[in-house]
Formats: sequence, structure tokens, C-alpha cells
Amino acid sequence: MQLTIQTFIGGVSLGAVYALVAMGFSLVYRTMGLVNFAHGNVVMVGAYLVSTFYLTTRVPFAVAMIVAIAVTGLIGVIIERALRPLENKDFDLMLIGTIGFGIVLEALAILIWGATGQAVPSPVATAPIDVLGIRIRTYDLMVLGIAAAATVALMTFLQRTKRGAAMQAVAMDHEAATAVGIHVGRSNAIAFVIGAGLAALAGGLVGPMLYVSPAMGGTLGIKGFAGAILGGFGNIPGAILGGIAIGVLDSFSAGHFQGYSDLVTFVVFTAIIMIRPTGIFGETTVNRA
Amino acid sequence: MTRAAKYRLAALAAAGAAAWLLPYRLDMYAIHVVDVMLLFAILAVGLGLVMGIAGQINLAQIAFFGLGAYVTAILTTKAGLGFWTASALAIAATAVAGLTVGLPALRMQSHYLGIVTLGLALAFTNWTTNAQVAGGAEGISAIPAPPMFGVDLSSPYLFYYVELIVFALALAFGLFVVRTPLGRRMRAMRDDALAAGAVGAEVPMLRMTAFLMASVYGGAAGVLYAGLIRYVAPETFSIANMFLLLAMVIIGGRQNLLGCAVGAVALSLVRELLIDYPTYAQIGYGSIVVLTVVFAPTGLAGLPARIGAVLRRRRTADFPTLGEFTPYPAGPAATGDGPLLSVDGLSKQFRGVKALADVDITVPAGQIRGIVGPNGSGKTTLFNVVSGFYRPTTGRVLLDGEVVSGARPHRLAQMGIARTFQNLRLFGDLTVTDNILVALDRTRTTWIWRYLLWPVGVMRRDRALRAEAEEVLDRFGLCGYGPLRPKALPYGIQRRVEIARAMSRRPRLLLLDEPAAGLNGEEVRRLGEIVRSIRDSGVTVVIIEHNMGLVMSLCEHVTVLAGGAVIAEGTPSQVAVAPQVIEAYLGDSAMAHDIPQATPAETR
Repeated sequence: MQLTIQTFIGGVSLGAVYALVAMGFSLVYRTMGLVNFAHGNVVMVGAYLVSTFYLTTRVPFAVAMIVAIAVTGLIGVIIERALRPLENKDFDLMLIGTIGFGIVLEALAILIWGATGQAVPSPVATAPIDVLGIRIRTYDLMVLGIAAAATVALMTFLQRTKRGAAMQAVAMDHEAATAVGIHVGRSNAIAFVIGAGLAALAGGLVGPMLYVSPAMGGTLGIKGFAGAILGGFGNIPGAILGGIAIGVLDSFSAGHFQGYSDLVTFVVFTAIIMIRPTGIFGETTVNRA
Repeated sequence: MTRAAKYRLAALAAAGAAAWLLPYRLDMYAIHVVDVMLLFAILAVGLGLVMGIAGQINLAQIAFFGLGAYVTAILTTKAGLGFWTASALAIAATAVAGLTVGLPALRMQSHYLGIVTLGLALAFTNWTTNAQVAGGAEGISAIPAPPMFGVDLSSPYLFYYVELIVFALALAFGLFVVRTPLGRRMRAMRDDALAAGAVGAEVPMLRMTAFLMASVYGGAAGVLYAGLIRYVAPETFSIANMFLLLAMVIIGGRQNLLGCAVGAVALSLVRELLIDYPTYAQIGYGSIVVLTVVFAPTGLAGLPARIGAVLRRRRTADFPTLGEFTPYPAGPAATGDGPLLSVDGLSKQFRGVKALADVDITVPAGQIRGIVGPNGSGKTTLFNVVSGFYRPTTGRVLLDGEVVSGARPHRLAQMGIARTFQNLRLFGDLTVTDNILVALDRTRTTWIWRYLLWPVGVMRRDRALRAEAEEVLDRFGLCGYGPLRPKALPYGIQRRVEIARAMSRRPRLLLLDEPAAGLNGEEVRRLGEIVRSIRDSGVTVVIIEHNMGLVMSLCEHVTVLAGGAVIAEGTPSQVAVAPQVIEAYLGDSAMAHDIPQATPAETR
């Protein structure tokens, strides 16, 4: 029982990172109907930026994070700008285009940081908290707290601000949104920047939990994406739950199946998604028949 | 033989001779590179079939490749089977894997399918790096060289010829599929899966077939890889190589199998040139993928056509003129036993919204029935239920006395229901002739066993269909439009193509959803003639229309829907003056005194 709870808690904190990745996917998808397959690679770049600034310049972790978010936001703008001609036209081509960006980002990371990865020390150096015999790392708590704060901030932005409402309008009907004077391109760019920022946040947070390497983007991206789909693609609260669910699934399959954890995770994910293709909460799409 | 065919034959012979003589000019290292290149070309053709032709995103092609190689390796080294026995089993195993990976395609498309196939590919890599039987990270070495009547296939020079033959067969078979009924249906499904179902293509079977073909291509390449390298390890089948393969297909032109092969060759050569700078090579091909999707989505294969289009633009583009419609010969008079279509207590709910509430409609055989009603009154929902796109919440639909509600669209199409769409759903990347050909093909998907066992039968059938398509185009006055793409045509002509496509099914019941929308007066008059002739040939027609002039002059009987319920029924002149109809249209019966003046003019 204790082991189960311990595994569960480990899964939740990793899941919080997946949830941040999933939120980025979902936000971009619901705003412009684009699945950004380069998202995982943006997460990886974010992880590298944070760890590099944090380790070499000795700035506080939070400052390193802000710098990383700014840089990845710029990457987001570039991707959006390059693929803008395809927006609302060919879904599959756009998807493949983002895969192309992912390939480039990974190669750039290898050029800059080398093919081998680096370990990042935890920014909070206190001992784990002991609750009823279950050890919870303080860093995990911090990750959960930041993820929760980011979620609340995003929801507030989307629901309470004029810009957020405009983005929702674009998500529902981009032509009607244009007709009432919303700049669709700018709205999409903002979605992309926020998505990339969330990716950097996830990458920065996951650095001390995993090993930072150019290849990490693939796995993180796919699992975050799986989380987004599991929760109902385009659905922000769904993305959070889906991400955490994937984290927990991952954590249990790692406990039970060791090396085969990825295999089990993806087979289970495929089975769930076949039973319920629209995810737990249903898809919030921009596609209509 | 035409001149173009002669040139093509000459080019083919030259390419064959060059490929045959190539090894004499190459050293040991170069022939090895060429051998690997050919494997990628086979893989790319397989991926082109499933992605470019059938439109199914498949990011597990590299796993099919790996499975073929690993099963061969395991069966030869661990189970002691002979190479060719092992390879036959390996291809069978990949085929099963292909069908399994294809299963999710029945439930989801595009990005969902992308992530699921990518996840399954990762699962495969995960298995190879961990499983004892697969040798873990070290892989499996010492795979025996394939024996072949005393020919030493451990020589990469001789192996080249084996690969060349397999590649030629794979490409030829792929091209054969693309240009005949199976490939046409796949392309139709890629362009518009809903419309493909509506013209009788069994979409689920087609998707599985596409995955099956891709996996067999992948498996064959895997077997050859095991025989060539005689060593397998996980990194060969990584996601990075999957993306490289994807880049080959995209850069070459995904909708053209020859282009896919060219892309594979080109990218392999570039990768070889930059072998000392793999990271720069990666940046290079990643960027080219981005540039290709934005600026040249048809890839290298599409360049000649694009250049041609630019050159032609200087000359004036002249459309062929739309010909007259030749009426159908009068068919058997409608037999009076029972209605052809009856809709019985039909309701359709979308979450909370009630789109149709307890609708009863009975259409006798041989009638032209009009369905009118304000926007949002449930007319198109009704069509979608009758043609099988939606399942009714309650109630049923009977076609000639047989309950058909709940059946899939392709089943209903096979049973004799054809339809057109309000917003036009022609297959955009198919020519007008191909659009007609897809609809003319009345075979079930199981018919495709002939592709393997009796290709001559496939060719004969294709020729017969083409002759039939000429007749249809001729009848609808669309003669000159055959080789054009529907996207390029004026709206009125697209509408006519869609009716021609629906009629190619030789239906019992034709559903027309706002066929006059966007047509000018003369076109509407011609449409009326066409519909009347269709009815006279023995087809029952149900027509949704807002053009009251057309409804009044064409329909014998009109049903009025409002808010999802039938509010009036009768002859056109009866419903035009019914107070509830006027209220539904104008919102207030007090305004009704405006109507009587308008009505006589409308009825003419």
C-alpha cells in the first residue's frame, strides 16, 4: 500500500510536467487547429536553456526560467510565422511541417549542447518531507505548485481578459472572428508563444527530475500529447487530468514492468483511445464536418 | 502506341539498363550505400501508399521495417529456420502487425492516428532494446546469408540485383494499384472520407488494406535488410530514422509513388555526402521538409506540373463549354406497391439540441419530393440520417420496406441511396473522370484479391469502367472536363459533376441537398430538366431546396420542416398558403397578408 501511494505520488509530480506539455498542445490546437509535433522539442530546448543558465551563470532558478520562456516564445513565433500560409488549409501538411521543425530543433540542440546530456541538480536542497511514512520530495511539491499556478493563470487569461476571449472566438470560428475585427494571425501567434512558454516551463521543471538530453523531447512530447488526447484534445482542464493520468500510468508501468514501461504505457494509451477517441472530457475542436 | 507511351517505354528501358549496369561502376563501399538506398526506396513507396494515396498518417513504418528484420533474425539465429522460410514468416508477422496498427485508424484520423502510430513505434523500439530474444541494445548478429541456387548473396553486388527486382516489383505493383479501382477509392477516401462512403467505398476496409500494404512493404524491406547487413540493432529503427523516411516521402512528393522513391534516393545520397556532418544533414533535411510543405506541397514529383502550370498561364485558359444534358431513356414506370422511402417516427438529438423530433415522411416510388423549411429546421440532418452519416436517436428509416437506419453510409450506397451535398464534396485531388469512376465501381472491397491473383481481370474491369465513365460524362454534357480537377471548375459545373457522380451509382433513391444553390437562372432551368429526366428513368428523388421557383415547378409533393418537425405536407400550392408555413418563414402570422400576392408568382 505504501509503495502504491509512493508510486502514485511520483507519478503525479511527473504527470504535472506532462500536464504542462499537454496544456501547450491543447492551447495551440484549440486556437488554430494545429498539432505541433515540434512541441516536445521546444520542451527540450527549454530544459537546456534553463539548465545552462542555471548552471553556468549562477542566476536564480526562477530567472533562468524566465529567460528560457522568452527564448522559446521566440521559437514559437518563428514556427507559427513559417507555417502561417497553411493555417486552416491542410491539416496533415501543417502537422508534417512541425515535424520538420522538430528535426531542426533537435539537431540545433546537438550542435549547441552536444549529443550527450547533462544532469541538473535540484534547485531546492531540503530533505524530503515524511508524511505517514511516505517520502515526498520538496521539489515535487514545488513542481505541483508551479503547474497549478500556471494552470490558474492560463484559465484566467482565457476567460477573464479581452485578448483571451478573442482567442476563444478564433478557436470557434476564425472567419467570424476576422469579421468582427479580431486579428487572427496575432491571436494564433499569442497562442503559440504561450504554448512555447508552457513548454519551457515544463522543460525547466523536468530538468532536475530527468536527465537533460537532445532526445528527451521525443518522449516528453509524445507523452504530453498522449495526455492532451486522453483528457480530450483542446480541453484545458482535460489536458491537466490527462497529463497526470499519463504520469501515473508511466510511474506504475515503470514499477511493474521496468524496462518495458514505454511499451506498456503506449499500448494502454492506444487501448483507451480506441475505446474513447475523444478522450475523457471530449474534444474541443476547431474542425467541423 | 501513342508517342508519349513510346517515350515512357524508352525511358523505362533506359532506367532499367542503367540500374542493371550500375554495380559495374561502383566500389565495395558505394554498392553498399546503394543497397541501403534501395531499401529506403521500398520503405518510402510503402509509406507513400498509406500516407500519400490513402491519406492515413503512419509513423510506424520504421517499426514494420524493424519487425521484418528482427523476426527474420530471430527465426534464423534462434530457431534455426532457413532464411527464406524465416522471411516468409517475418512478412506474415508484419502483415499482422500492420493490421493491428491500422485498427486505431478505424476510430481516429490525422493527428490522433499520428500519435498512436508514433507511440506504437516507440513501443517497438522499447521492446527491441529490452527483450532478451531480440538481443537487447547489442542486437542480433551472425544472421546467415540467404541462399539462392548457389549464388553467393553475401556479396553486396549480387544482393543488389535481388533488391533491384524486389524494388521494381514493389514500385510496379504500387503504381498498378494507384491507377486502378483500389487506388482510386483510396485517393477518394483521402480527399473526403465521408463522400467516399456515400459513393459506396468501404472506408474501414480500405484503411485496413492501406495499412496492410504499407506493412508488407516494410516487412519486405526488413527481410532484405536482415539478409544484406546480417546484423540488426534497435537504433536502425529509431524514431529519428522514421522522420528521415517521412522527410524522403514529403520531399519526393507523397502522392506520387515514383516521387517517394526519388525522394528516398535523393535524401540517401545527400545523407551520404554529409556523412561526416550528420547534425548539419539533419538541419538540412528538417528545413527542406518545412520549405516543401509550405511552398511545394506536392514535392519533387509535383514540380514538372507546377512549372507547366506557370508556363501555361501565359496563354489564355479556355474552359470547354458545358454541353447539353442528354435525357435518360424512360425507365419502367414506378410500381405502386408500397413507398420507396419511409421515415418512421425519426428523432435525432445532439446532446441537448433536438434537431429532428418525431418526423414521419413517406415517399412513393417515382416521386420528386421537395423538402423545404427555414435554415436550421433539420433538413440536412434528415438527409444525413437517411444516408447513414448519423444514427437516429429513435425511429427508423425504411428503403423499399427494408429497415436501413443505423447502417453505415457505404452499405446504404450499395443498397441504392445516392446523395449530393449542400457544400459540394467532390474529391478535390481527383480528376472529374476519376470522381465518376469511383462512383461507378460497384464491387465490394473483397474484390481486390484479384490484384494478387488475377491482375488481368483488374485491368479489364478498369477499362470497362472507363468506357462507362465516358458515357456518363457525355450524358451530362461534361465531355471536355474529364481530365480537369473539380477545384478549378466554375461552381455550376461542379454542381453538375456532383449530380453525375451520384447518378453513376445507378441509385433507386437520389437525395439532392440544395442543388440549385449558387446557380444562375438558366442553370436552374437545366437542373430542373435533369432532375425530371432522372425521375422519368425510374429513380425516386428527394430534394432540399430554398429556390421556391424550382420547388414549385419541379416537385409533386412538398414536405415543410420547421424546428425539426413536419409542419405541413401537400402539393406545392397547398403548402405555400398554409398559415403554419407562412408563420415558420416569417415568424409572425400577422404578416401573412403579404404572402398571397407573392405565391401565385412563385407557382407560375
